[in-house]
Amino acid sequence: METFVIQFIHGLVYGMLLFLVASGLTLVFGMMSVLNIAHVSFYMLGAYLSYTMFKVMGNFWLALVICPIIVAFLGILMERFILRRVHAAGHVQEFVITFGILFALNEAIKWIWGSENLSVPGPSALSGSLMIMGNIYPDYRLFILFFSLFILVFLAFILMKTRLGITVRAMVSDRDMASALGTNTPFVFMLVMGIGCWLAGLAGVIAAPFLGISSGMGLDFLTDCFIVTVTGGLGSLWGAVVASFLIGQLSSFGILFMPRFAIVFGFLLMAVVLVIKPSGLFGEKA
Amino acid sequence: MKNRNFYLWLGIALGALGILFPHFLPKFQLRMVTEIVIVALLAMTWKMMLNEAGLFSFGHAVYFGLGAYASVLGWLHIKGLSLMSGIFLGGVVAGLIGFILSVFLVRMSGTYYALLTLAFNQLIWAIVWKWRDVTGGDDGLGRFPKPDLLGISMRDPANYYYLSVAIVAICLLFCWYFTKTPLGSVMKSIKSNEERTRFIGFNVGASKIIFLTMLAFFAGVSGALYAQFQEFIGTSSIDLVMSTHVIFMAFIGGVGHFWGPLLGSGIYVYLSEYLSQYTDRWELIFGIVVVILVLLAPQGILGISKKRK
Repeated sequence: METFVIQFIHGLVYGMLLFLVASGLTLVFGMMSVLNIAHVSFYMLGAYLSYTMFKVMGNFWLALVICPIIVAFLGILMERFILRRVHAAGHVQEFVITFGILFALNEAIKWIWGSENLSVPGPSALSGSLMIMGNIYPDYRLFILFFSLFILVFLAFILMKTRLGITVRAMVSDRDMASALGTNTPFVFMLVMGIGCWLAGLAGVIAAPFLGISSGMGLDFLTDCFIVTVTGGLGSLWGAVVASFLIGQLSSFGILFMPRFAIVFGFLLMAVVLVIKPSGLFGEKA
Repeated sequence: MKNRNFYLWLGIALGALGILFPHFLPKFQLRMVTEIVIVALLAMTWKMMLNEAGLFSFGHAVYFGLGAYASVLGWLHIKGLSLMSGIFLGGVVAGLIGFILSVFLVRMSGTYYALLTLAFNQLIWAIVWKWRDVTGGDDGLGRFPKPDLLGISMRDPANYYYLSVAIVAICLLFCWYFTKTPLGSVMKSIKSNEERTRFIGFNVGASKIIFLTMLAFFAGVSGALYAQFQEFIGTSSIDLVMSTHVIFMAFIGGVGHFWGPLLGSGIYVYLSEYLSQYTDRWELIFGIVVVILVLLAPQGILGISKKRK
């Protein structure tokens, strides 16, 4: 029984981390109908930046604030100077160009930081652990859980209650109409891209002490992240929440029961969902 | 008419050059040209999927890799399997898988199609990777027989080059012919308006399934040729990276042109070979090249000349 509870919490933590990355991806897709493959590179960048920041400043919390902002800025630059220019050429071109960016960014990161595995210690205030049903559980993982939950609520609040959220939702449902009604759509695109990349960078920073930093971390995450976005339905925030939860539990219990085939379960879930409902669990347009 | 004559002579000149290649090119160059010819077939099947049917495949390595594995397993386990039957076996298995997958895939379009192919790619890659007893897992499969063809040894790179060119040429001819058939026209009309095509009375699903199965067969043939060319087959032939390479190849040359993938795979093979000789960071340069190329020439290199006309 204890093992189950621990595995459940473990899956929850991993799922929430997935949600942080996937939510940015799904937000950007909902807006621009472009799947930004390079998104995971920004996640990776966040983690590597936090390593350097920690070396220089020696403070985790400072890294948590600054690194995602740097990443968001890079994302905005990418949108402004690369993605916007190919937008007229069509989705296929946009898709391919994000591929090129993924390749270039991943290699650039390897070049700058080297390909050895790095590790960042978590904040000292959270280095302790908690007893859960007779098991020791690290505080830091619980911090990931609650921090991600906080971000989720924060995102939902922005989307549902603020002026910006209304604009974003209007643009998701009809971009041309929103533009005709006077919304500065290019600016909102840039902003959403920035928020998406900020989320990816944030996930990178908090994942670094938990999962470690390695040159393969982006691609490891890529597949799970895509499974979440697609299973939940592209562009749907609630879909991302539910799918992250499912994938987190699947991978957590999959490793417990069938370690050899744990990686297959996610794809299987995605394939089954897409075959039954082509637009994903919460997706509207197929 | 003048244009037509020009292309005819260009074709004859290139053909003559192709036949003479093995006589004046060093072995190393000949290997690269052979590789270009083989992967060009794969890139062509990807391009046709996008160009004739508007389907963006994100998991093209599945057909390529399964064709390669199937033919290699055939050569390893079936005694006396000839070279051509092995290659054919690779194509058939890939086509069969293509048929099964396309039953699910035909309902999708756009990004969802791309992502479902990605899911299938990862699923099959994971199975191949984990099923060590049959596929050798990470170690891959090597040391399989390379049967002679009609008494001609295929161990000679020049002979293998001729064989690859011949097979790929036949496949490409078939692809070109396909675009002229009524079914080819149906695919074109599905691309421009699927709903209307269905309304006119064409069976959209069945047409797509036939088309995808055919392309999967050719991709499998390309995989089988590649396996014999490398004399080794590993999981890298079926993983996501392979799928993205195919996309790059087709894209560099120009998706809107019949010969685009050939040019693209040529540039790709040479670029990756020479860049990796000079620097370890070739993927960085390659990524930047792709970004700049898509920015400047969204329709690929052959697309530039078209615009100027």
